[in-house]
Amino acid sequence: MAKSLLSIRDVTKNFAEVEALQKISLEIYSGEIVGLVGSNGAGKTTLLRLMAGVYKPSSGTVVLSNGEPVMNMRHELGVVPESTGLYSRLTAWENIRYHSRMHGVKDSIAWARTEKFAQHLDMKDSLGRHTKGFSRGMKQKTALLRALAHGPNILLLDEPTAGLDITSARTVRALVRQLRDEGGTVIYSTHQLAEAQQVCDRIVIIHNGEIRADGSPQQLLQDTETDSLEEAYVSLTLDQARTRKEDNTKESAFTGWWRRLFTPKTPSTTQEVMESE
Amino acid sequence: MSEGSFRRVRSIAKKEVVEFTRDWRTIIAIIVIPLLMFPLLFILFPVLLESEAAELDALELSIIIQTDGLPENLAENISLSGMNYSIEELPETSSLAVPGQDLDRVRNSSTDAVLRFESNEDIWNYAILHLSTSERSNEARYRILNVLSDWENSEIRERIDQGGLDVNETLDPLRWDGEISAGDVATSGEQSGMILSLFIPLVLAIWTYSSAIQPSIDMTAGERERGTLEALLCLPCSRMELLFGKWLAVATITGVGVLLQIFGLLFAIGYLATSSFIGVPQLSIVSILLIVLSIMLFAIMVVAFELALAMRSHSVKEAGSILAPALMLILFPALFTQVINLDGIEGFWFAIPVVNILLALRELLMNRVITEHVIIWAVSSVIYASLAAYYASKQFSREDIVTSLS
Repeated sequence: MAKSLLSIRDVTKNFAEVEALQKISLEIYSGEIVGLVGSNGAGKTTLLRLMAGVYKPSSGTVVLSNGEPVMNMRHELGVVPESTGLYSRLTAWENIRYHSRMHGVKDSIAWARTEKFAQHLDMKDSLGRHTKGFSRGMKQKTALLRALAHGPNILLLDEPTAGLDITSARTVRALVRQLRDEGGTVIYSTHQLAEAQQVCDRIVIIHNGEIRADGSPQQLLQDTETDSLEEAYVSLTLDQARTRKEDNTKESAFTGWWRRLFTPKTPSTTQEVMESE
Repeated sequence: MSEGSFRRVRSIAKKEVVEFTRDWRTIIAIIVIPLLMFPLLFILFPVLLESEAAELDALELSIIIQTDGLPENLAENISLSGMNYSIEELPETSSLAVPGQDLDRVRNSSTDAVLRFESNEDIWNYAILHLSTSERSNEARYRILNVLSDWENSEIRERIDQGGLDVNETLDPLRWDGEISAGDVATSGEQSGMILSLFIPLVLAIWTYSSAIQPSIDMTAGERERGTLEALLCLPCSRMELLFGKWLAVATITGVGVLLQIFGLLFAIGYLATSSFIGVPQLSIVSILLIVLSIMLFAIMVVAFELALAMRSHSVKEAGSILAPALMLILFPALFTQVINLDGIEGFWFAIPVVNILLALRELLMNRVITEHVIIWAVSSVIYASLAAYYASKQFSREDIVTSLS
């Protein structure tokens, strides 16, 4: 049996009154690609941020195989957030080097790793260019190279193919599979079932902050007695998705009053619309 | 601080400075503007004023003199002052200053000014009608007043002489004996320190705050808005290292801006003034060290405070709308400090935030090291700087800094 690398035990995460994740437990094993699948606002990004040590759990623990909280072991992780997070006035290599230096990795080692993966992603000639003019696909690939440069044990990818053209998306998926084949572990968040089926060895379906299913694509079909993953997903998430909260910060009484003061009342009848004109 | 921690802080600060200075607008904001602002203001502005004044001097003006008899030498002087005049009868008005029927002539610029001049036995009455919103009319009034003043002086001297008195003894009975500057026992170095103490603290306070606004916002709310902060928070560095690295970068950028501005200011003053007006202030080693300490404490407090406020904000726009008006918190105490009399000043002034450092700088630039004051401003500044740093660390520790409005 593969070795457990990351354990999420009874994790709950609250933002003010919103319970983003409810008592989640999950084991991530070495050498697998785990797909986190769910609709917008399901809790995928929150779970990913907990795994990356950006958020602290409200209760429960997120620990690595050595029992250390993930927050203290971030050098074990490589993270590609949804926004990619590249500095536009730095070159692709400078972006990568900055992160690898923060991980305490020598420039020569980071360069050797970057060069190897850049070849796969057809990015080698672009490493010296400022990322300002990069397409979405090039930014995504640079962020991926940046996450790999320090040689992480676990790679966390948040919607890595969102907004990419078909060719770029294929290249990214191929690299992810190659990393798995070389013994790497990848956690892959997506809301596209077809993509998850293509790439992932194991799919975790998250809905309204809960894990609804966890297993291989075949196992999910068997458990739900359906013919396709789409049907399986629908049968597992029949309850209505909760409304996504725009901002998880608390609004003060004064700020709320001030905002409402300058927000016109939304008309509810044709008569009110005509009166407001 | 461990070696790894120091390396990460240095990496953050270095990257922030490199990224910030790659924008040409930043170079203009932190190097070109501070360096050129005062030289442009102090050197080019007087040149512009001089050329405008020369243009006014060259103007041929036309005025009307309403009089019942103009002394001959006065008429001659008016002609010599570049004014053409025509003589009219004095109008019937309750006083000479009432424009009456001449109001429209002056307002519609058909004449530049009207001089009314009336003899009343040994006394002369006069009034000048002019339009204060017209440069020509103002110039005409100015020239007429000069001519009248000269004429009045010669009239006074003539009358004293006719009365059998000595003109010089009568008009100048009290006289300074010797060089006026010789009576000042302050050294030129002390005088220079006094002059510098009037504006260096003010410039330092305002420029430190204002030049830190842009980098503070860019490195916090800007990162948050652009989505680069999340990737940064995934790295194995603590939030305190992040804060310290960013503080170091903002402080460096601000420090360069302030130094360049002071350099520009001193250059402008040195260019304009004679060497006796301003020179090198006479400062002891202790004063210099205390000046450096006070500036450092002030910078720690201001930059930490700005970083905290910017980090609290969800967007660049929000951060700007908070930090720009907060300049008043520096501006008012800075202006207020300029008018406080330092002789016999009470100790509590040196405990008031912002005011304490500015007063300390004023004292130290005059080479006054008063132990009681030094203890009060140093301790209170350390407390304020610590509070600002603590507040900033609280803001950097917030979980919601990873989210933005965009």
